[in-house]
Amino acid sequence: MIKKTICLLVIISLIFPLGGCWSRRELNELAIVLAAGVDSTPEGNIVLTVQIARPNAFGGSQGSQQTGGKVGQNNVWVVSQEGETVQDATRYLESKVFRHIYWSHAVILVLGEQISKEGIRKAINFFSRSPDVRDQTIWVMVARGQARDILNSHSQLETTSAQSIGSIIQKGVGPPVMYKDLSMMLASKGVNPVLPRIELTLSGIPQGPELYENIPEAQNDQQQSTTTHAEVTLTGTAVFNDDRLVGWLDYHETRGLLWLKNQITRGEITVPSPTEPDKKISIDITRGNTQVEPFYDGQNIWFDVLMGLNGALLEQQSKEELTDPQIFAAIEKNTALSMEANARSAIEKAKYDYGVDIFGFGEAFHRKYKDAWPALEDKWDEAFIGADINIKGEVTIRRTGLITNRMSSK
Amino acid sequence: MAALLSKFRRPRRLNTLVPKPGKSNGDQNNQSQIDPGHASQSRNLSSNIEDNLRSLKGIFHQCSDIIFREFLFAQREQIKLALIYIDGLIDKSQVSDQIIRALSLEVPVATDETTITKKNAWHYIKMRGLCVHQLQESQRLPDIVSAVLSGNCVLLVDGHPNALIVDSRSWAARSIEESKTETVIRGPRESFVETLRTNTSMLRRKIKNPNLKIEVLKLGEVTQTDIAILYINGIANEGLVQEAKKRLSDIKIDAVLDSGYIQELIRDNPNSMFPTISHTDRPDRVAAHLLEGRVAIMVDGTPMVLVAPYLFIEAIQTPEDYYEPAIFMSGVRVLRIISLVIALTLPSLYIAITSFHQEMLPTPLLLSLAAQREAVPLPVFVEAFIMEFAFEIIREAGIRLPREVGQAVSIVAALIIGQAAVQAGLVAGATIIVVALTAMASFTVYYSGSITFRLLRFPLMFLAASFGLFGMIGGIIAMVVYMTSLRSFGVPYLAPLGPTIIGDLKDSAVRVPWWAMHKRPHLIGQNNPQREATGMQPKPPQQKNN
Repeated sequence: MIKKTICLLVIISLIFPLGGCWSRRELNELAIVLAAGVDSTPEGNIVLTVQIARPNAFGGSQGSQQTGGKVGQNNVWVVSQEGETVQDATRYLESKVFRHIYWSHAVILVLGEQISKEGIRKAINFFSRSPDVRDQTIWVMVARGQARDILNSHSQLETTSAQSIGSIIQKGVGPPVMYKDLSMMLASKGVNPVLPRIELTLSGIPQGPELYENIPEAQNDQQQSTTTHAEVTLTGTAVFNDDRLVGWLDYHETRGLLWLKNQITRGEITVPSPTEPDKKISIDITRGNTQVEPFYDGQNIWFDVLMGLNGALLEQQSKEELTDPQIFAAIEKNTALSMEANARSAIEKAKYDYGVDIFGFGEAFHRKYKDAWPALEDKWDEAFIGADINIKGEVTIRRTGLITNRMSSK
Repeated sequence: MAALLSKFRRPRRLNTLVPKPGKSNGDQNNQSQIDPGHASQSRNLSSNIEDNLRSLKGIFHQCSDIIFREFLFAQREQIKLALIYIDGLIDKSQVSDQIIRALSLEVPVATDETTITKKNAWHYIKMRGLCVHQLQESQRLPDIVSAVLSGNCVLLVDGHPNALIVDSRSWAARSIEESKTETVIRGPRESFVETLRTNTSMLRRKIKNPNLKIEVLKLGEVTQTDIAILYINGIANEGLVQEAKKRLSDIKIDAVLDSGYIQELIRDNPNSMFPTISHTDRPDRVAAHLLEGRVAIMVDGTPMVLVAPYLFIEAIQTPEDYYEPAIFMSGVRVLRIISLVIALTLPSLYIAITSFHQEMLPTPLLLSLAAQREAVPLPVFVEAFIMEFAFEIIREAGIRLPREVGQAVSIVAALIIGQAAVQAGLVAGATIIVVALTAMASFTVYYSGSITFRLLRFPLMFLAASFGLFGMIGGIIAMVVYMTSLRSFGVPYLAPLGPTIIGDLKDSAVRVPWWAMHKRPHLIGQNNPQREATGMQPKPPQQKNN
C-alpha cells in the first residue's frame, strides 16, 4: 500500500516537469518592442519598423553607476523589414533579431501617411489577431511622412521616443486613440476613424554636456553636431473615410473635434477681452462635457449639441475689473463663442471637405432611433452632411487663479 | 504530498517496552529492568531496616549519586534510621539541619527521651522530630524508588515497614529569564524554565483559582518524566480534556526529553506539515489559552509548553496583540497577514511573472527588470531557488553557529549574498530584493507556522516555474483545500475562517477592543461562552436630571 502510494506520488510529481515550461520565456530572451511603424512600398509591400528596447541601456547589473536609461542615447534599436504582410515582415525580422519579438509592451503603433491613404486595414489586421499585442495599451497614430522616421527619433526627456509619444497622446492634446478604439471606429458605421497626426518638428536646442552647440563658432567646427533637435510633435488629426486617409484637421479644428467627441480633458481657450479687443484672456479648462441629442422627424435629421465648460481664468492681458459680473459674463460669452467656432470649423471641414462623420453623431443617432438606423446606416455620411447641427456652449468660470484683479491697474 | 494523502487517523502507538529476559547483565538480584516503576514488582517494605536497605542498594546498584545515610534516632543505638537521596537533587542544608540534626540531636533535647521506644519512634519522628513542610508515607518499594529518583529524601525507620518521603527537592536550575522565542515590547517578560514545578507556579500566580487543574502523570518508561495537564475546570470542554488525557495515557515510549515528543505522538494528522498543536514558552500566552478553554501540556525538563487545539489563525496572533491598543494591533495583524502571503508567494509570483506573464508588468518596470536580468546567466527560477536556498543556509547557520563567530559570519553572508552576487552578475538585484523581503516576512508570524510556509514556498516556486500563475494558484488552492480538511482536537483548522464563525472574526484579521470581546472562541470555549460583562465600553458619565 505504501509502496503504491509512493509510486503514485512519484508519477504525479513527474508529470510537472513533463510540461517542460514550454511557454516560459526569460526576460533576456525577449526583444521588447516599444513602438511599431507600418509603411508601404511602391510595389505594394509593407515595411515594418520596430523600435526594440536595449535592456543594457536601462541600467545594467552595475545598477549603482547608472540608474535608468540615458536620455538621448542609444537606448533602442530601430530596425525595418519589408514583407508582403506584417506577419511576413515579422518572420523575416526574426532573421536579424535573434530574440523573441515581444509585442505586449508596444506603446505606439505608427501608420505611415502613404499606407494610410491606401487603406489601413491591410496594415493593422495582424495587431488584432496576434495574442501578444494588447489592444488596450497601444496608441495608434498617423505619421506625416514615413512612420520609420518617427521611430528613428529620440526624445529629450523620456528614455525612448515611443514612451514620449505615448505620454503626449495621453495628455489629450489630440484625440487619444487606443488600438481597440480604432477597431471599434472601423467596425462602426456611425463614425469614421480619426487618429492623431504626429510629425517631427524642430524643437529647441539640447543643453548639457554638448553645450558647445550653443556657441556659433563651435557649430562651425562641429559639422556633425546639430544645433536644433527634432522632437516628435502632435500637430493635428488625421481624418479617415472608412480605412483611407482623406485629410487633416489643424490644431483648432482638433480642439473642436475633441469637444464634439466629448473627449476634452484639459486645455485652454484664449479669447479677446470684452473691453480691449486687442488684448487677450486665457481660460484654463477644468472640466468639459458635451451632450449630443439627435432629432429625427422622418425627413430631417438635426442635432443639438450642448458643450459645457468649467474653467479658471489664468491669464489676462487687459485691465478690466474681474469683480464686475457683467464683464465676467462677457468673458464667458466670448469663451463660449470661441468654443462654438472651433467646433463649427471642425464640422464644416468634416462635412464639406471630407464628407465623413468623424464625431460619432451616427452612433448617438443609432442609440436614440434604433428603428430608423438600419435604413440610414449605409448612407449615413450623406445623411450627416444634410443634418443641421446646433451648437451651444455654456461656460462657467469659477476661479481667477490666485488673484482676482490685476495687482497693478496701470 | 504524502501529507495530502494521509488518512486522518490517530498516530500508531509504540508497543509497551517489555524487558527481555537474558538481557540483564547478571546484575545483582537480576533487577536491571529499565523500568524502575516495575522494579521489584509491588514489593512492600519489611520491618527490618537491614532488609530494606539491602533491597534498595540492590536496586540502586552502581548509581554513584545515590546516598545512603544511616544514623541513630535520638542517640538510641537500637533505633536506626536511614536516609536515602540523590546527591545534587536535594537541598543539602535542609537535609542536614531539618532532618538529620533534628532527629538525632534535637529530639532528645526537646522531649523526654526516656519515653522514646522503638515502637513509638514512628510517631515521634513524624509528628515531633521532622521539621519539613511536606511529608508522605509509603510502604511500597516502587513508590520509594520513584520518590528517590524525583529528588525526595526517603527516611527508613528500623522496626517499621513504612518509609517517610520528605520533600527536599532543590537542584541547580536556570533562573526565569525573558522569553527568547517570542519577544514583546509590551507585556510580561518572564518565560518558562526547565522545572515543571516552577512553571506550574508561574501559571498559578496568573490564575489564582482552584478551578485551574494541574494533573500530573509520568511518561517515559525509562525517563519517568513528569507531565502535567493543565485546564480550567468549567471553561475547558470536558471532552477535550478527556481526549487529551486519553491520548497522553496511550503513549508508551522509553523517553520524553522535550514536549516535541508528546506533540508528535498526540497530534491529529501526524503526516501533515501544518502544526496542529502550538508550543510556547510564555506563561501569559498559556494562561490566555487556558482561559479560552484550551488544554496545556507541560513536560518537565523543557520550557516549551504545548497548547491544544491550535488553529491556523494563531499564526498571526501574538500575546502583545492583546496588550497594546486594539486599533494599532489590528493594523499590525493586517501587516502580518500580508507578510504571510509574501512569505508564501512572493518568490513564485516573481518567477511566474518574469518568465511567463511579462505583460503584467508596467513597461518601465519591465525594462528595468530586463536590464537587471541582462547579464544573469541563469533562468529566473534557478536564480531565485539558489538565493532562497542560500538564505535558508544562512538562517540555519545563524541558529547553529557559536555566538562568538556569529557577527563575522553574518557579515560575510550579507556581503556574499547582497553585494558580491549582484556585482558578479550572478543574480539580479530584483531577485535579492524578493528573497530578502520573503525572508523578513516569514519571521513576522508565529515561528512554527512560518516553517510550514517557508517549506511550501519551494513547491510553489516549482509550480510557478512550470505552469506560471496557473500552477501557482493551483498549488495555493490545493493547499487551502487540504487545510480545510485538518482538525485540531476536533476543531476545524481554519476556524473561524473555514467554517465562518462571524462572532470569532473579532479576533482574527483585526482585534476588537477588550470591551467588545464578550465571548470566548465559539468552538473552543463553548462550555462557558461568556467571558465578560457586556456594555463596558467606556463612555462619559450619564447626565443626571436635576
